[in-house]
Amino acid sequence: MQSSPILLVDDNPDDIVFTLRAFAGNEFGNEIIVAHSGIEALELLLPENGGAPLQPAITLLDLDMPKVSGLEVLQRLRSNPLTRLLTIIMLTTSNEERDITESYRLGANSFIRKSLTLPEFVEAARVLGTYWLTMNEHPTTPRP
Amino acid sequence: MTTTPAEPFSAQPEPGANSAADLRVGPDQLLALIDNTSAVIYMRNLDGRYMLINREYERLFNVRREDVVGLTDHDLFPAAMADEFRANDLAATRGGVPVQMEEVAPGDDGLHTYVTVKFPLMDGDGRVYAVCGISTDITDRKRAEEEVARLNAGLERRVLERTAELETSTKELDAFAYSVSHDLRAPLRALLGFSQMLLDDHGDRLNDVGVSYLHRLQQNAARMSRLIDDLLRLSRTTRAEISHQPIDLGQLAEAIFEELRALDPDRIVKVTIDDHMAVFGDSRLIRLALQNLIANAWKFTSKRPDPQIAVGSGLHEGVPAFFVRDNGAGFDARYAKRLFVPFQRLHDATDFEGSGIGLAIVQRVIQRHGGTLWAESTLGEGATFSFSLTTTADDYQLEDRHAK
Repeated sequence: MQSSPILLVDDNPDDIVFTLRAFAGNEFGNEIIVAHSGIEALELLLPENGGAPLQPAITLLDLDMPKVSGLEVLQRLRSNPLTRLLTIIMLTTSNEERDITESYRLGANSFIRKSLTLPEFVEAARVLGTYWLTMNEHPTTPRP
Repeated sequence: MTTTPAEPFSAQPEPGANSAADLRVGPDQLLALIDNTSAVIYMRNLDGRYMLINREYERLFNVRREDVVGLTDHDLFPAAMADEFRANDLAATRGGVPVQMEEVAPGDDGLHTYVTVKFPLMDGDGRVYAVCGISTDITDRKRAEEEVARLNAGLERRVLERTAELETSTKELDAFAYSVSHDLRAPLRALLGFSQMLLDDHGDRLNDVGVSYLHRLQQNAARMSRLIDDLLRLSRTTRAEISHQPIDLGQLAEAIFEELRALDPDRIVKVTIDDHMAVFGDSRLIRLALQNLIANAWKFTSKRPDPQIAVGSGLHEGVPAFFVRDNGAGFDARYAKRLFVPFQRLHDATDFEGSGIGLAIVQRVIQRHGGTLWAESTLGEGATFSFSLTTTADDYQLEDRHAK
């Protein structure tokens, strides 16, 4: 699992910089692949052209994206047997009750509000990575 | 009642005899009866020709009895109206039983509505030979009913309109709060993040002044972020659904003091809390309000050598009221009203930190519970914040007992 990449889905270029930097500072060793939209994320995880699908260790999914939103991506991934068991962590600006509830209802594994400052970002990446990449046991066959 | 002299077909009462004949009612008495009622009474034969009308009929339609006898409704009323009267007559004569309906006839001030009973008259062999009608003017009632219906419809429409307006403004507020939480935080995060990266990666190329500028930028961005969070909290207080539970304010206050002591273990504050402060309200919102009031008292007593805070209850103008009193910095009573306006502050940020939203939140919470919040103070001598709530736990228990 350790060698599997992290998939980061976010449309905000600034937030991508902070997330990459936060993970880089923690040296988990996982490559981070960035999808800049919901559509790009779905193309990587459920390629329609028959190509090999990406098999990330964890997916960090932003909620508020144009066209295909984070919730829609989540719903699509959960309704497909190939991606049903992926570890999906909502990493987003919102802390609105309805976003949190809806995310869990659609099957998110975790909901984390994006930190405001860089040191907090780094700390969040450390805790998140330690838990989800090293402590947590994932299903051995995420693609049954 | 006046007794008229005997008619040929009326039995003359025996003078002095207290017989059944004394109690017999003759045609004249019957005529007197129908002439002295406020109802319109008339009799028509099977051809629809008038046999009799009463005095109210004469008065109402400005006709004389002797002129009307032998005429039909088509001689007296517009054709459509006369047709309807005729149809109603036939319904009574054909069915052989009384029928009731509403009829409309012209009056001095426009059309009048009558509730009419029509019943067939039969001869000795049971053959119907005429129809009798008794019509009562219900125009006033009808107009009142229509007025009530019109007013009700207007009221309903206005309630619907106001509800729709309210829903729209709540939705707009909702959308606004949501976009604030998303769209304003992202650029703030960028300001904080990139200034931090500038400090981390290129800080050695800046002198102390340059570094201090970046720190100020960060402090301000952080402050703006707190303001946004507070605004959101205020907006959520306004939007939140309220549920009512019994709450012990004393217990709640004790828990809040515990939290404050945990955050600030070096401070020693003399705290007194009254017993028996039962209220009835939304536990989350009431906690939010009390937390703000107590945290304020905690903050504004921080420069006192002998800080004291009291949470208690009493009667204010006959109504149970609760207070949080401190011996802290206080405020100038002249500005008391501005205390509850969002972002208004009566102290310098350098003296006491704060965004100026706490008391606005407290006021929203109290208002949403149907109560009032007020403040008394003398500058430098402490402050008392008091509030009432419409329902106390006593009311609740009373209701509960009634329910059982």
